[in-house]
Amino acid sequence: MLLKKFFNVGFEAIAVVERRWFGLADLARYPLFTPEFLEFMGKVMPPHRHNELVSSIAVTARKPVARR
Amino acid sequence: MPYFGDQEARSIIRDTYSRVRSDGTAVAEAFYAHDELAGVPAEAVAMALGVGHPVRHAALRTGESVLDLGCGAGIDTLLAASAVGPSGRVVGLDMTPEMAARARRNAETGGFDHVEIRAGLIEELPLPDSSMDVVISNGVLNLSTRTSRVLAETMRVLRPGGRVSITDLVLAEALPEDVLKSPAALAG
Repeated sequence: MLLKKFFNVGFEAIAVVERRWFGLADLARYPLFTPEFLEFMGKVMPPHRHNELVSSIAVTARKPVARR
Repeated sequence: MPYFGDQEARSIIRDTYSRVRSDGTAVAEAFYAHDELAGVPAEAVAMALGVGHPVRHAALRTGESVLDLGCGAGIDTLLAASAVGPSGRVVGLDMTPEMAARARRNAETGGFDHVEIRAGLIEELPLPDSSMDVVISNGVLNLSTRTSRVLAETMRVLRPGGRVSITDLVLAEALPEDVLKSPAALAG
């Protein structure tokens, strides 16, 4: 979906150059999340997703030299 | 289905990021090399809240102009400033005044005279058309309820042939509704 949005606004050479999973242990590094929130996530998310909640991706792209 | 409108989402995010405090380095150490971290002020390192390392993939060159969307306390802004050198120019933009103030302070502390920090929205970039060589962003795009608008604005301010390097979170599988309705999940 995100890559399609890059395409739709006119970017070219769109590439995902890195991808890594984010799990509960990764979220725990962030001061944005309280212990209560992490506990909530642990309860509401099925165990098989605790290590794979979301993906972090790195996207590169380029604005065309001549706009379409 | 969006559970938060533009204004409510911005309010939640501003409130969360204005209150966040950190003196640890766990997030920064997950993404950046020690020698990179040694070159930026400690507060910028401690307040790293991104999800990757967009500067690493930006292939920045000496003298280029760079815009950092949602710069936070400025770690990527300052790493970009190191990469482009004093003949370049880096603009950090953040909608949370407290974060912009932190980034400004960190740029001053680090002696980055070619860095400018602005407070503003990533959906309404306060920059002229075709004025930047590169746009970077780290874990910010997903905080906007108007991602396509942000990308269109990014396209507008880039020079022809300009580049983007963006790290962000994406879902491989839907999250439960209880999570989607959570303000804490939205801000994270």
